[in-house]
Parts: sequence; structure tokens; C-alpha cells
Amino acid sequence: MDPALHTAASGMRAQQTRVEVISHNLANVSTTAFKRSRAHFEDLLYQTVQSGTTVDGAGASTTPEIQIGRGTRLAGVQRVDVQGPLEQTGRPLDFAIEGDGFFQVQLPDGSLAYTRDGSFTISDQGMLVTGSGYAVVPSVAVPADATGLSVSRNGVVTVSAPGATESIEVARLELARFANAPGLKALGENLYQETQASGTAQVGFPQEQGFGRIVQGSLEASNVEIVQEMVEMITAMRAYEINSKAVQSAEQMAETANNLIR
Amino acid sequence: MSAEGIGASVRALRYWERRQEVVANNLANVSTPGFKGERVFARLLDGGPEAASATDPTRGALSRTGRPLDLALEGDGFLVVRTDLGERYLRGGSFTVDAGGTVVTSEGHPLLGENGPLTLPPGEIVVERDGTLLVDGAVIGRLRVEEASAPPLREGANLWEPQGAGLAVAPGDVRMRSGHLEESNVDPVRALVEMIEVQRAYGAVHRSVLAADDVMQTITSEIGRVGG
Repeated sequence: MDPALHTAASGMRAQQTRVEVISHNLANVSTTAFKRSRAHFEDLLYQTVQSGTTVDGAGASTTPEIQIGRGTRLAGVQRVDVQGPLEQTGRPLDFAIEGDGFFQVQLPDGSLAYTRDGSFTISDQGMLVTGSGYAVVPSVAVPADATGLSVSRNGVVTVSAPGATESIEVARLELARFANAPGLKALGENLYQETQASGTAQVGFPQEQGFGRIVQGSLEASNVEIVQEMVEMITAMRAYEINSKAVQSAEQMAETANNLIR
Repeated sequence: MSAEGIGASVRALRYWERRQEVVANNLANVSTPGFKGERVFARLLDGGPEAASATDPTRGALSRTGRPLDLALEGDGFLVVRTDLGERYLRGGSFTVDAGGTVVTSEGHPLLGENGPLTLPPGEIVVERDGTLLVDGAVIGRLRVEEASAPPLREGANLWEPQGAGLAVAPGDVRMRSGHLEESNVDPVRALVEMIEVQRAYGAVHRSVLAADDVMQTITSEIGRVGG
């Protein structure tokens, strides 16, 4: 009865992974620009335990072969890159991307990372940086005497300075996008890194060539829906329970078989 | 009861073990998208039952995911992917775009359109009901949807090995649902009930083996003694 035990155990493992993924989603229900993930399963290899047989010579009927599966396994954990709802914050340095694209930021080692979390601040050097202090690329320098900052939908950053009647353009934000954005590696701190699976970054201006637009004074909220996750959690728990019953049942049958010898 | 009777009981035990394995596999795959449960039934042969199985063809419920490349077929038929071992069928699933823009399964097998693999430029992906794939409104190609001429064999990884050439489904008959996944068609409650049934039947056959053994024991010890 070993096969049934292992098969049922694979089912328990799968559901456990599913609960881990759901828990991570729920933990990030209010993380800016968080994208929910989903565990994805597939069945395991099949074993042909009995090949097709022909019963009787005359008027022969052939029965199909019997294949028995050996359980399930994790095929992958996919990030679901659906736009999260935009939440108004009113803070002038909060930028949300509505549509396709990522902000580019520079990590301390000089490499680039990508984020959709646009809750920026100004560093002591007058540069636009993320909440964790990474500089936005291309760099946006804000003059020390600037009294206001605004960003247009297509990414042009302007500041107003005392004395000047017209606002001064200081930079234009650029966005990056990927052939396969879910293939980006999550680094934590709402940052992603380019990988072989994601493809190389294509850089462009907001609202051009299919890139999204920038919305100032808003942030993209997490795209996790609590009710959906809770329902998934319940189904995962029930499926886990049922598979544990299958383990029990397989174990009891093995015990019965053992009792054949007295 | 004779030794032959015990042989039949042993066959019956094996039959119920097979059934248990299949039920365990069905249960392990209650959340595998596109999974089709297996049903085992007995063929009564001389000297005990023999297991035979069939795939439960009923369609699983569709669950909404909102990802355009989550594809499910509402009607019959299969999508086609290319693997190292040749073309394989699958009922749908969660496809992604690889670094080169090709639509692939999570294992990296390209999904086939009528003119081979589909390569997408970046942009908004839409899959229409007849299987036509568009990016930003421009037609990229139409997905191949085939009906199997003979029941395909299960291969694992949600793939099926076609037996013989498939029959293309006419575009008008394809009912593709983008943004949906077909759930496993295993009913957990029914599978649980079946599992209890299997376990009880196994116990009953087990007792009949013991009874046959008792009779044999009586024959050998009692009659043997009188005779000797």
C-alpha cells in the first residue's frame, strides 16, 4: 500500500505550499504595489500497471490500459500582475503607475532594480529616492529652494521656485517593462530584479508606446483580495484534511494486510 | 473453500488496493487545474475481479482568475503544446510568456497556434472565444484546438499523449475562456466516500481469507488426524 501513502502525502505537501503562498499574500494585503502569487500544481507521472488486454477470441473486446497516477507536485508559483487599485494619498511625492511599467532604481552595488511602489522622498542631496533610500533612475534632482513639485501624466517633473512665475522642468521619469514581467525576481522591499525569464528591460517614457501613465498623489495598493484569499485558504485546508484521511485509510489497509498472518 | 478460493480473495485484495491508489491520486489532485479524475471498476473474470479504469470526462468548474493567459476550454477538445517527445494535449492552464515573448506552459513547452508557437510583443493580451490571440488589438494567431480521435493517455504534468491524429475543432465550435482556469473535476466528498467503501471492502475480503484459512486449518489438522 506504499504508493497510495506517498500519493496522499504529495497531496498534503501541495496544500501546505498553497497555504504558505496564501499566507504571504494575506500578510501583504496593505503593501504598496504588492502583486499576489498563486501556487500552481500539476499531476505526477503515470505508471501503466496493466497493459490493454483482449478478452475472448471471437468478438474480441480490448480494454484500455490502466494507468495509475502518483500524486501531485508544485509546478510553479506565479505572480499575478494585475493592476492594483489606486489609492489617493494627496502626498505630492506619491506616484502611482496606472498601466504597464516599473520605476527604475539604483541599488548600492550599482545594479538596477525595478519597482511599482512610487512612495518617494527627497534625500539630503536633493535627489528623488524610494522609501528605502534608493535613487530613482534617471536621477531627478530637486533644487533646495523648490516650493512645489508636480509630475505630469507623461512623467515630466516640474518644480516651482520662489520668484519664478513659470515652473521649471527638472527631469522626465522613465519606465521599464519586460516581455514576461512575472518572471522578475522579487528582492523584497517591493523591488524586482531582471532575470533571464523576464527578458531584458525596455525603457520608455510614460504614456508612450503602451507604457502606463503616472498619477501623482496616489499609490497603487496591493492587488490581494482578502475574501478571495480566505476562500482559497479554506479550500486548501479542507483538501489537506482529506488527503490526511487518505493517508490514514492507506495505513489502515496496510495494517489489515499485515493481519493476514496470524 | 479451497486454495483456489484464497487465490480469488487475493485477487480481490489487489483490486481494492488498486482502487485505493486511484482514489488517493484523485484526492491528491483536487486542486490541479484541468485534472480529470480516474474511475476504477471491476471486470469479473474467472477467479476474482480485475481492475479496469476509465477517465471521468466531466468538465471541472471554471474559476475566474483575471489573467488573460489563464485559458480554459468550455467545450470538448484540447490545446496543443510542443514537448521534446512530440506534441501533447492539455485541457488549458496557466500560460506565461518567456523572455523571448513565446507563450509557454510553466514547464516551458510552447503552446501551439495554427502556425506553430506564438510570439507576442509586449502589450495587452486578449484571447477571444474562438481562440484568436490579439496583442493591443493586432491578431497574432489562433490557438490550435483539437479533439482526440482515440482516448489520449495520461502523461503527468497535466499533459496527455495523443493516440493517433487529432481532429481540428472548427473555429465556431471553440469555446475558449480567457482569464479562467478549469478546476479539477474530482469531487472530494465522493472520493472520500469511495475511500471508506474501499477500506471496508478490503476488510471484508480480508476476513473471508481468514475464514478460508480456518477451514483449511480444520481440514489439515482434524481430518488429517482422523485419516492418519
